[in-house]
Amino acid sequence: MHRGHFRLLLGVMVAAMSLAIAGAAGGAPQRANAGSVVFGAEQEPPCLNGALAGCNNTWTSWTAGVALASLYIVKPDFSIGPYMANGPARVTDRSPFTLLVRIKPRARWSDGRQVTVADINFTWQARINPQNEVASRSGWDSIRRIVAVNSKTARIIFSKPYAGWKALLVDSIYPSHALTGTNFNEVWNNNYNNKAGATMASGPMKLQSYTRGQTLVMVRNTTFWGKRPSIDRITFRFITNTDSEIQAIRGGEVDAIYPQPQLQLAALRGQSGLRTQSRAGTTLEHIDINIGAGNSNPLLGQRWFRQAIAYSMDRRAMVRQLFRTLNPNLPVLQNNMYTSNQREYAGHFQRYTRNLSRVNALFRARNCTKGSDGIFVCAGQRASVRFGTTSGNRLRELALEILQAQAKAAGIEFRPDSEPSRLFFPRLAEKKFDLALYAWVGTGDPAGWIDIYGCGGESNYKNYCNRTVTSLLSRSDQSLVPKTRASLVNRADSIMATDVPVIPLYQKPTYFVYKTKLRGLVDNPTLQGPTWNTEFWTTS
Amino acid sequence: MVTFIIRRVLYSIPVLFAASVLIFSAVTVVGDPLAELKQNPRFSRVTVDRIIERKHLDDPIPVQYAYWAREVVTDRFGTPLLQPGDQIWNDLKRVIPHTLQLVLLSEIFALFIGIGIGVYSAIRQYSVFDYAATTFSFVGFALPVFWLALMLQILFTNAFLKWDVRIFYTSGLNSADTTCTFCVDRLQHLAIPAMTLCVLSIAQYGRFMRASMLEVVNSDYVRTARAKGLPEQSVTLRHALRNALIPLVTVVALNFGALIGGAVITETIFGLDGMGPYFINNLLSQDVYPVMAWLMVTATAIVTFNLLADVAYAYIDPRIRYD
Repeated sequence: MHRGHFRLLLGVMVAAMSLAIAGAAGGAPQRANAGSVVFGAEQEPPCLNGALAGCNNTWTSWTAGVALASLYIVKPDFSIGPYMANGPARVTDRSPFTLLVRIKPRARWSDGRQVTVADINFTWQARINPQNEVASRSGWDSIRRIVAVNSKTARIIFSKPYAGWKALLVDSIYPSHALTGTNFNEVWNNNYNNKAGATMASGPMKLQSYTRGQTLVMVRNTTFWGKRPSIDRITFRFITNTDSEIQAIRGGEVDAIYPQPQLQLAALRGQSGLRTQSRAGTTLEHIDINIGAGNSNPLLGQRWFRQAIAYSMDRRAMVRQLFRTLNPNLPVLQNNMYTSNQREYAGHFQRYTRNLSRVNALFRARNCTKGSDGIFVCAGQRASVRFGTTSGNRLRELALEILQAQAKAAGIEFRPDSEPSRLFFPRLAEKKFDLALYAWVGTGDPAGWIDIYGCGGESNYKNYCNRTVTSLLSRSDQSLVPKTRASLVNRADSIMATDVPVIPLYQKPTYFVYKTKLRGLVDNPTLQGPTWNTEFWTTS
Repeated sequence: MVTFIIRRVLYSIPVLFAASVLIFSAVTVVGDPLAELKQNPRFSRVTVDRIIERKHLDDPIPVQYAYWAREVVTDRFGTPLLQPGDQIWNDLKRVIPHTLQLVLLSEIFALFIGIGIGVYSAIRQYSVFDYAATTFSFVGFALPVFWLALMLQILFTNAFLKWDVRIFYTSGLNSADTTCTFCVDRLQHLAIPAMTLCVLSIAQYGRFMRASMLEVVNSDYVRTARAKGLPEQSVTLRHALRNALIPLVTVVALNFGALIGGAVITETIFGLDGMGPYFINNLLSQDVYPVMAWLMVTATAIVTFNLLADVAYAYIDPRIRYD
């Protein structure tokens, strides 16, 4: 071998060995000490002020948002209960609707200042200020004023009865003393610092550092008013590709992941050293049926035809096909406004199982006959409709294919009509569709469904108008008795199960994977997310 | 040469202006960037109106272009659609060096190996090595980048699981408790993405080098050098290679410019905070302003590296002179 070649080869070998040695040294888990967790985050928060439109991302609240406690919290069973509030809030007056909220005496910020009514007041003002580009004012704009009974007790007076007040109290509370006088649109984009530069927190963890595009580090908040967290540090690493997340947790580069359900995640089930939890989430996949102007087939305006569509579908088989490897127990959704995890859930759409005899009977009763292609024709009108979803979403596209095949066998044609979401949703808003498969993200509280199912509702793209349903939903938004409220909502849903302007499909499942040496992790399928109880996390 | 460079820089200005008009027009026609937000019944209409006012979205297109062009020039691309407190340029300043680091690493690696393969293939034409290299080149051209990336991730993860030795990391720029830029940890994180990126480049440069070397080794001056009794290594490396490198320099310079914006798939799969994920994330969230900024930066990079290619060409080959 030539001397030069030998030197070159030797150099390459030395370099390779150095990397391997460095790698072996770095082969141990990447944790500063045993009380740390490295969490693979599938999305990076665009910015950290979760109230703002630009930062309003679930991962904002699941990462840095852990630092900002709220008065109430949504638990995994979708119930909403006190967290920083000292016991349940009390309705002290119905006219005007008034809530009495107490803050826990020990609740304080990391700089030692108490969490007070002034902070609730500040949060309210920040939310309703038209200069602030907040994502949602819903509920906060129903508050007339907030009165401090004492520093820890607030009387919240609404301008009208607001049944969804519990969901309102799940929003994070901001520190008045740290943020008064600042530009809410710009402050706290990259940190949670007060005017002196110290990080602020009222939750179990506080923000230590945020390296954009790479990591966000939370450390234990030693002044936390609740149970002392066992974990010293949670490092969120941003890994946006699901396949990379899978390899990262397999290879020990992260300790936990919470990805969107994808078929390849099934490979992690049963892997030694890993535990998985999967529950039905709050993303309600469903099919909207446009029963009015904008549709391409007047048959869609007929209730019997919509029922025939529902009877042509085997939703259970579809859900099983999509999720048997990820969550074989995922139920079919049978209600448009409550999730299957909720106490108030009632399966009004259960009657719609695949029933070809029923489909035939519905068509034949209107003198419809099948054409040579097997598709029903009714007075010259073919039972053929457009059916679209957001293209690129593999699960939705698969669902569409399955339902298309089922409908064809029943004599109904679904013509594919999918587009990328940036084109699909504007068309939806213009009501230029027949059937549309997409999702609403629920909060667990039924407030606001009137916008979607009520006559003239802003998001009622399907031209559905049933005065009884509208009245029931309107009354439920103002009903302050939970049982009455649930009854009103369920009555509305029951009517919709007969009218069929919408067909519920399933709740997209969550998927929580973590190392077995982590304890206390409980999947919360609500918007509260997997980090809802970090104070109870431990490592064995 | 200086005159040439100045003239090319001046020519670049109308080119970039035309690019900005095309970019703005193309991005604007795809639809309302706030469409998905407007569809959400819980999203505040007051905020939507503020954003429309802030970004002049209800003005005529030429007026919108004028506002945007002003922001590009005077405010370094301005702010994103939904985050008035952020500056697009700060994000670009952060991600460009990460991409440059990856591209530089992969290109150095690709050049080193590609040139070696090309030279040896040319010298040993029709040998077993030559055929193997040719096969590798075709495979390299055909391999989908995303597939190769995933395969390498699985390979090194399985290696870690089997031997408990961390050779390379499968995602990110650094480990959880490190943020260093020039260190072994960063190298271990960039190794697999660099490997993924350089496969195609190795195939390309290898083929190019081989063709270029074959043309040169049979030329008269090389024959003369041999006839003068020079050692074969000296003939190959000092006389033939230098001339064979000339066309490769052009290809490398153009490739480098394209890769600044073109490593989208690789960076996204490996979770690298570079130009690729920056573009993809903003595209998916329909924030058109960072997308347009990204396109302008990429266009500028291509124009710049085109100029560098021409200058390098003239520098290496003294026969070439620009007026």
